[in-house]
Amino acid sequence: MSNETESVRLFPPKDGLPAVPRVIHRVPQGSQFVGLYSRELLRTFRNPWVLVITIVQPFMWLAFFGSSFANVPLADLEALLHIHIQSYLQFLLPGVLSTSMLTVGMFGAMSTIQDKRFGYMKRILLTPTSKTTVYLSKALGSATRGLVQIPVMVVAALAFGVHINGDPLMWAGWTFSLVFLALGFSFLFLAVTASSTDWQTPGVISNFLMMPLMFASGALFPAANFPTWMATIANWNPVTYAALFGRGVVVNGTANWLYLGYVAIFAGLMALAGTLVARRYLKVE
Amino acid sequence: MFEDAIVATGITKNYGPIMAVDHVDLRVPSGGIFGLLGPNGAGKTTIIKVLTGLSDLTSGEARVAGFDVRQHPMQVKQRIGWVAAEVILDDDFSGWENLWLQAKFQRLSDWQGRAKELLAYFSLEDRQDDKVSTFSTGMRKKLEIALALLHEPQVIFMDEPTIGLDPGTRRMLWELITGVNREYGITIFLTSHYIEEADALCGLVGIIDQGRIVALGTPADLKAKVSGDFIEIETCETIDEGRLRSVPGVQEVRIQGTTWVLKVTRAEEVLPRLFDTLKPDLIRRINVEKPSLESVYMERTGKRIDQADSGVHDYRKFYANVRRARR
Repeated sequence: MSNETESVRLFPPKDGLPAVPRVIHRVPQGSQFVGLYSRELLRTFRNPWVLVITIVQPFMWLAFFGSSFANVPLADLEALLHIHIQSYLQFLLPGVLSTSMLTVGMFGAMSTIQDKRFGYMKRILLTPTSKTTVYLSKALGSATRGLVQIPVMVVAALAFGVHINGDPLMWAGWTFSLVFLALGFSFLFLAVTASSTDWQTPGVISNFLMMPLMFASGALFPAANFPTWMATIANWNPVTYAALFGRGVVVNGTANWLYLGYVAIFAGLMALAGTLVARRYLKVE
Repeated sequence: MFEDAIVATGITKNYGPIMAVDHVDLRVPSGGIFGLLGPNGAGKTTIIKVLTGLSDLTSGEARVAGFDVRQHPMQVKQRIGWVAAEVILDDDFSGWENLWLQAKFQRLSDWQGRAKELLAYFSLEDRQDDKVSTFSTGMRKKLEIALALLHEPQVIFMDEPTIGLDPGTRRMLWELITGVNREYGITIFLTSHYIEEADALCGLVGIIDQGRIVALGTPADLKAKVSGDFIEIETCETIDEGRLRSVPGVQEVRIQGTTWVLKVTRAEEVLPRLFDTLKPDLIRRINVEKPSLESVYMERTGKRIDQADSGVHDYRKFYANVRRARR
């Protein structure tokens, strides 16, 4: 040893006896989740591009999609959409927010696969951290990342002149419907990719789920115009219920709490099933 | 602490039809440095995986730091540290943040003082707030050892600790490993395919080949057990085995690729006789191996460690790929 390191002796060897380790203080529980969850968020939001895209994307949705019917008289639109609205944007806002929760699960799945490929999953699992904790932190991390879009998009909609009805309790319910949706899809994505180590898997699954769940829902167009088979999918699709709950609040100032319950059940089932799958199938590398 | 740090009995790990670890018995006393020496693909990393609880055992029993790895994996994981062959850190985070994450994973409360001591010990305190992606390989390795030490483990597992490092960094790491062992009193279990590394660092060496421990003991004991020297000859001349066998002093003859491997009583006596038998000007290469861990391996397996590479893992290539992917 060089003299430099010699001077910083922490545990001087006791004559011939092996050193006895000091008593280590451990905090009871939860610390591993805090570490993993913070890691997910810090890694995401320290990247300036992630922040920029997160903020710009909702504006683009509203600007481009929201302008699709700019030259259609409002009365014609109302007849098509079966609802009295202030503008197409007012109709669209809750729907776009619901559909954007579809993609959030992909981020958690990608971050998990990255940890498997770079070996960091080994670093985590070679500490007393359970696979369930890893799974929950990834799911909550990606859901949180998706939820940042809510305030941004609402502010964007207000900037575009959209009038939002309802009261704070309804707004809270609306937010929770989106939280449940984000959590549900995060759990679902992570469970499906638990044993995958391929970068491409989350993207492929996302594309596969995107079309049916986005369009076979009441999010962008009313299900009343759908053929029967598509209406059936829409009836089971949780995106529909988050969109309908939000639309009730934003357009009419009414809340159908059953819809919120439906989305909550979806999140609960996915959490349960996902945790079971992850405990068994979450791969280390 | 007076119990053995690692006790493994008949541990076996199958990957489908492949037996990566084949009924291995090990006993590593507390406070020493144990080296598992063998070629790539011999099962060294798999042994670390099953002893740390990362992979499940197919059969057998193992106790690490006093706990059964199957029944109490979390207790084992609280008491072990781990240093990866390919240096695994979170590159998006600073040195200090990597320590913070490790403290969270290990559920430590008052870890900051210890983290500062470790950063000072490894001369990293000036760079603690820099992103790990800006660290040199040697610094990354040191930080990884600091992570492994943070929760005061009883045993540290180091998988190929000096693979892919330049000679200077390797020497520094050797000093750190012996220093950590001596000053912290921590048992170190390392794997290596470098003979000189096992010889220089380890008080106890197990030589592994194809999932089986073929020799176990102190480096001195192992070398003493080898009776005689090895001579390797590569020649352009066509020779038959019988001619080599007839040379007095030659005990065994094997062919390894294009190289003849002779086990002889004493190389200095046999060499002149060999020159009389063979055409010296046709000899392309000749190598004498005096008793060493390499010759222990040669005696047990008939191959040199660096020739025995089964090609299952090329860590250097893997490591380069990981670095490239991170950029």
